[in-house]
Amino acid sequence: MGNYILKRIMSIIPVFLLAALLTTGMIHLSPVDPAEAYLTAAHIQPTDEILAQKRHEFGLDQPFFIQYVNSIMKICQLDFGISYVSNKPVWNEVIYRIPATVQLAIASILIAVFVSVPLGFLAGVKKGSVIDHFSRLLSFFGASIPTFWLGYILVFFFSVKLNLFPVEGIGTWQHLVLPSITLALPLIAMYTRLLRASVLENLQQPYVLFARTRGLKEKTIMTKHVLRIAISPMITGLGMNLGKLLTGTIIVESVFSWPGFGRYFIEAIFNRDIPVIQCYVLIAASLFILSNLIVDIVQMYIDPRISRKEGQHR
Amino acid sequence: MRILLTIENDYQHQVGGDTVMSKGKISLKIKLTFVFILILSTLLVGCSNNNNGESTSKGSHDNMLTIAWPRDVGEMNPHVYNPSQLFAQSMVYEPLVSYQAGGKIKPSLAKSWEISEDGKVYTFHLREGVKFSDGTDFNAEIVKKNFDTILNNAKLHSWLGFITKVSQTEVVDKNTFKLTLTEPYYPTIQELAVVRPVRFLGEAGFPKDGDTSKGIVKPVGTGPWILEKYKADEYAIYKRNENYWGELPKVAKIKVKVIPDAETRVLAFEKGDLDMIYGEGVISLDTFKQLKSTGKYETSVSEPIATRQLVMNTKTEQLSDERVREALHYGFNKDAMVEGVTSGLEEEADHILPTNLPYTNDIDVKSVGYDVEKAKALLDKAGWKLPKGKTVREKDGKLLEIELMYDSAESIQKAMAETLQSEWAAIGVKLNIVGVELADQVQRFKDNKFDINFFSNYGAPYDPHTFLNIVASKGYGFNEAISAYPNKDELIKQMVKVPQTTDEKERQQLYASILKSLQDQGAIIPVSYIKKTAIYQKNVTNFKFPANRDENPFTGISIKQ
Repeated sequence: MGNYILKRIMSIIPVFLLAALLTTGMIHLSPVDPAEAYLTAAHIQPTDEILAQKRHEFGLDQPFFIQYVNSIMKICQLDFGISYVSNKPVWNEVIYRIPATVQLAIASILIAVFVSVPLGFLAGVKKGSVIDHFSRLLSFFGASIPTFWLGYILVFFFSVKLNLFPVEGIGTWQHLVLPSITLALPLIAMYTRLLRASVLENLQQPYVLFARTRGLKEKTIMTKHVLRIAISPMITGLGMNLGKLLTGTIIVESVFSWPGFGRYFIEAIFNRDIPVIQCYVLIAASLFILSNLIVDIVQMYIDPRISRKEGQHR
Repeated sequence: MRILLTIENDYQHQVGGDTVMSKGKISLKIKLTFVFILILSTLLVGCSNNNNGESTSKGSHDNMLTIAWPRDVGEMNPHVYNPSQLFAQSMVYEPLVSYQAGGKIKPSLAKSWEISEDGKVYTFHLREGVKFSDGTDFNAEIVKKNFDTILNNAKLHSWLGFITKVSQTEVVDKNTFKLTLTEPYYPTIQELAVVRPVRFLGEAGFPKDGDTSKGIVKPVGTGPWILEKYKADEYAIYKRNENYWGELPKVAKIKVKVIPDAETRVLAFEKGDLDMIYGEGVISLDTFKQLKSTGKYETSVSEPIATRQLVMNTKTEQLSDERVREALHYGFNKDAMVEGVTSGLEEEADHILPTNLPYTNDIDVKSVGYDVEKAKALLDKAGWKLPKGKTVREKDGKLLEIELMYDSAESIQKAMAETLQSEWAAIGVKLNIVGVELADQVQRFKDNKFDINFFSNYGAPYDPHTFLNIVASKGYGFNEAISAYPNKDELIKQMVKVPQTTDEKERQQLYASILKSLQDQGAIIPVSYIKKTAIYQKNVTNFKFPANRDENPFTGISIKQ
């Protein structure tokens, strides 16, 4: 298995190189010159002289290939360049903002798991019951309400009208409640349905019948066997959705003024702060690969059959 | 939680059963539980760490005014631009002179000044007894030090006209500072009132190598506010400078919350977390109307700060004819459009620059009203005839088709573009409207790839001289746009001459004739005067807009407890 993990880690490299190529190419595809965008954003009237100076500073006057190689060399040393806007190293700016985003992401994953596991499981076991209908309704809502709108509605009721939680900002656990619920709802919608379908499918499997004939308690069969196997697609989904979560934080962080990485990225897009955008894309790409890897490892633990299959391939 | 517990219970039941399998599982379960506890505790620690004494409830005001701003206030460096926010810089740092209502330049850190007869030497007598917030003296030495570090980056600041013309900075005595220019440049005194870069940082703020363009050590200024607490992307708190030399602010503290989302700002304001929403682009038109209509809040609208203009590219064939340009001006109901689109937040404009700027209050321009018949007659005269049964005029088989470019993010520009489209259709002009991103709009304007574009001037304290400068200089778009003016060369010669004038009367005359000629030939149509808006809670009193567009309005404000 160690071999397998190593192989997977190695596969990050080509993806990483490709992502770097795309982000470097981005500058040339954009119709707007970053040097000019920088000056416009700074309220400086761009003259040809300043433009040339800035372009040189940003290394934009070099051939594309050199720019690409340079950026890869630097990225390997965790040097993502200097932000056009703040004139500070991008990496420092990003590191400063990541904890807030991670906090939000973890909180919403926890909420998503704690709500969707029991809900999806019960909806599957008790098909056609009130719980099943409720879970379906919740899923429809969760899947169709745009995140930002949900955020506003939650703020309007729970903050402005009922005064239970703060409107925006970070600090206490109360600050965390509304944004993480907003971020969690689409996940809940998806996982509940995923788990329900998987539970239903597993209930038809022979091993359930076998367990029953062994005389195991129904409760034991459900929690110890069915849930354990049925949860597998949900974990895969969770891993794949880490990336989605990252894009979700962009909107939620803006709506709730959460001082995280996503909000910083949005600002970078508006300012055409290329080094920051590059850094974001690379981190997002790495996170995708990494989360898939983690999911695979967790899957192996939960369902040993998977690692046995892997073993056969080798 | 319950689900976990039941799993745990079932687990205990099972242990007796198959021991071999469960050993591995025990360790897995323990591992998972451990990871879970770890995650939870990091989360809680993260929360409690951030919770250091920030008061969130309203009522515990401590005479503090809380506002929202869409961006972080940035590094409080007086000598650089983005991401530093102008209003914040203006709270901490002060200029030598300040721009006041009607374009009057009043003393600030300089109590008086003299300008030599040839217009090249400016001698400033500095206010005595002024201290920086760290207790050090403000004097001619530190003024020179600031000027020199700014001039070291003259290229970066070259948009500010006088910067490239400075030949010498000199300390005459402790409280006298002399600035010598290479050529007379009258706007110097007005440009010294801008928020950046010519404001003054205390000695302790300078980095070791003295180059502030790369950053400062700490924000030490002479202004009425001192930065007390700052958390990037969250908030900044400013406290009153109790040793301030001028009028002491009424409120003790200002808290600037960073709220990037417009709707969230409104929700926070409605909840009472914010005392005021203020700033250009910070309140949308709809929000302003909606909040005003509730009657629960106070609102304020400023004097005109800039003119929204339509700029025509006279290099395009159709618009090279003055009669066509004039017809377009006659062909839309400006008053109704401005009122309808902006609900009275902007005002119909008759001049290409607001009349509250220096030298602009008495320009005698041709008055053009709404007159559809006249517009049609002018187009007929220009040879653009309406063929029977058609809706668009033609000339030599060519359609009278024009494109108007607007900033797609600006709802007012979009609505106006749509109005013009239908208004001009009535006189037989086909207007195509195209929304582009701001950066593209600027680029296309510069590259002369447009027929008609929206533009607005910079406002106080930059105008009117900056406006003339960008019209006269190549590469901004205007110079090329007025190419069909028969007197273009003469006009540009005059525009270049204005800043060098030393005689007040001559200057006034030049402005009058240049602005009149620019406007009367119709390539620049004034549409509306843009105004600033503010909305605040009823307990906020004495709010006044600053005359300088970029200054903060906080000094006079008070909060009724």
